[in-house]
Amino acid sequence: MIPEPPKSPIPVLPNTMMNPVDWVVGWARANSLWPLVFGTSCCAIEMMATASSDNDWARFGLEVARASPRQADLIILAGTIVEKMGSRLITLYEQMPGPKYVIAMGACTISGGPFYYDSYSVIKGADRLIPVDVYVPGCPPRPEALLYGVMKLQELIRKGAWRNSLTHKPIYREPISDLMTKCAADWEEKEKKKQEEMKEAQERFKVENPDYKGYVIKRVVGPKFEEVAPTPRPERGLPQVELFNILLEKFPALGVYSVPEVTREKIAELGNQYVLDVVVSREDYLPLIRFLQSDERLRMNYLIELTAVDWKDHFDVIVHLLSIDKGHKIFVRCSLPHDEHPEIESLSDLYAGANWHERETYDFFGIQFKGHPDLRRMFLEDDFPGHPLRKDFVDPSRVVVRPY
Amino acid sequence: MIKADSKLLSTLPPGFALHDTGEDGSQEYFLNMGPQHPSTHGVLKLVVKLDGEKVVEVVPHLGFIHRAIEKMGENESFVQYIHLTDRMDYLSSHINNLCVCMAIEKAMGIGVPERGEYIRVMVSELQRIQSHLLWWGSFGMDLGAVSTFLYGFKEREKITALFEELCGARLTMNFFRPGGSNSDVPETFLPRVKEIIQDLKFALDEFDALLTKNPIIIERTRGVGILPKERAISYGCSGPVARASGVDLDVRKHSPYSVYDRFEFDVPLGKNGDCYDRYWVRMEEMRQSIRILEQASAHFPPDPYRSKEKPNYKVPAGSYFASVETARGLFCTYMVSENAMKPYRIKSRSPNFSNLSAINEMSAGGKIADLVTILSTLDIIVPDIDR
Repeated sequence: MIPEPPKSPIPVLPNTMMNPVDWVVGWARANSLWPLVFGTSCCAIEMMATASSDNDWARFGLEVARASPRQADLIILAGTIVEKMGSRLITLYEQMPGPKYVIAMGACTISGGPFYYDSYSVIKGADRLIPVDVYVPGCPPRPEALLYGVMKLQELIRKGAWRNSLTHKPIYREPISDLMTKCAADWEEKEKKKQEEMKEAQERFKVENPDYKGYVIKRVVGPKFEEVAPTPRPERGLPQVELFNILLEKFPALGVYSVPEVTREKIAELGNQYVLDVVVSREDYLPLIRFLQSDERLRMNYLIELTAVDWKDHFDVIVHLLSIDKGHKIFVRCSLPHDEHPEIESLSDLYAGANWHERETYDFFGIQFKGHPDLRRMFLEDDFPGHPLRKDFVDPSRVVVRPY
Repeated sequence: MIKADSKLLSTLPPGFALHDTGEDGSQEYFLNMGPQHPSTHGVLKLVVKLDGEKVVEVVPHLGFIHRAIEKMGENESFVQYIHLTDRMDYLSSHINNLCVCMAIEKAMGIGVPERGEYIRVMVSELQRIQSHLLWWGSFGMDLGAVSTFLYGFKEREKITALFEELCGARLTMNFFRPGGSNSDVPETFLPRVKEIIQDLKFALDEFDALLTKNPIIIERTRGVGILPKERAISYGCSGPVARASGVDLDVRKHSPYSVYDRFEFDVPLGKNGDCYDRYWVRMEEMRQSIRILEQASAHFPPDPYRSKEKPNYKVPAGSYFASVETARGLFCTYMVSENAMKPYRIKSRSPNFSNLSAINEMSAGGKIADLVTILSTLDIIVPDIDR
């Protein structure tokens, strides 16, 4: 918990009276805003577009954006604020000299926006962290909308908002209230009342206009489309049967996912658009990948991705490999028990890129990679409880579950 | 060497120790870059170990914009997931949408009519140019030339306006659907594309005069941040970053999707894998995209723009994979379905994630100022890394 800073010593005058000095200071402050370069995601591009020559926010006195909060007095929150960024945002806000202002740009900073439901990391509204003066809705808002938001802020400053207090709330740690469910009962009552009033009004209308015959609804019929057959796209490189043959020589126990009792004929039947999805035992996992990488006929030198799937009773670690020179792909999957920390060999010696993919998989699923040089959490804080992409992950203090 | 009980060490990543270097007892130090920093292009934190001005090691810290898109995808229908990919790599949002649509099409056996495919290719190429224009503007700005930002955005706004007319959005498009697109292109689409092509040809020459032959730019980018070919492959780099190192990986040529196999275009490849090559590859790619646009607009078919819409998108059980070439590289969608309306697991492979993982290799041994140049030529989009 962050202690509350002392309140501003300047007494706030009632809004009805404004002395000339206040007016001049307000006017000067409103026309020389110094925004901080703070963009986390998509809205930042629209903020850049606002600053560019077509929209040019310098017309409104928003001079050059500052990179340091110590030189700025306005944060335009352009983009989602997630929990890890929350404490940094408070630091930035505290480092700005007062009086300071905040514009919440876009749906994410207003309420969480598209990331309101089911997200375990997004803060549902930046005003849970720092006080916000102007809200600009949109996903993302157009540059014109942001300019309008700036003009509204200038209006506020002229009216005396330049005496902003410096108080801020701590990060919201209590269970998140689901406003949607809370409002539902209230909403139902209002709906009922509305229906009654409508009924009354309809009856009154019938009495007042006895000749009215109603109207016919005309529906706009859209164009009808026909089904189109998909264009076949054969996979490049070695044919899958040949690839399978080569693997079978070295690893006779190899299985293929969703093809029980696999034979060469069955693979040949799947056609040239099928990509081989082999199932390998834990002991053969590392030797197989090493063979795929080093064999002259295969040369699968490119790791597309490494990820996992939680099947509730077991995990599947899935590796996608590609041969850049020849063009063929292969999917390798290895089953792991559904423990607290299942373990598998690391591929980071074979592919340098596997390092980060494995860290990500560890972060999301809690799968340990033996021999990994630097197995830390990738995206989440070290004290984050549990691994979020597991199917049994529940965290009511962070996640608002979708009610429909 | 700092003692283990030092307070300073607790803020460092594991295995990241500072050593004494000089004879005069001078010491390595570390510098925090980000998460709020103008040249990290978003909220990326780099912990840089420095010896004087020389970079010894760079450790990126991610997750400052991790929005749980993959978890959210498990609770939304397949078609609803399209709009979430807009918000990953928002400068390639059309192309990301296309990848999800292609995975659904593959799973359900949906075909796309001729006009739909041409719309896809043209819109994707416009998106690529738009993204590279923004990169060009911010690249100049990162190296200290503010005017490039204004030049880049001037051209970009023309394409943005075209997209707005096309689908009502400037950035988060949500335009493509399985079987084609959300709506047909307006009548003004083709004439406006032709206009944009003319403007762009002029603008690209102007850009060349401004930056490409600028001695300061050449001095700051040549031989800086070299990524050898083998390392680029090993790290899983893709897009212009890999192609600048000479890796011939462009999904449009490598395993053509949509109707890319009908157009003539070259894949520019660099030789040295330095910052200048990455710059040059992107400039050349814009020219190649213009070539594709010219060919596509000359043979724009009049057929229906989409195939028959399904009553619901219930994807049969199995796992499906589709890959496209975004402005930043190889973007893949891997989805696992259990014969339901919602995906059981959906994963997007982001090109930036792998591209950024090579940053230590590129910048170690260089100067701290070069780190900014390298970051800029990597052209990372942090929400795409964090997802």
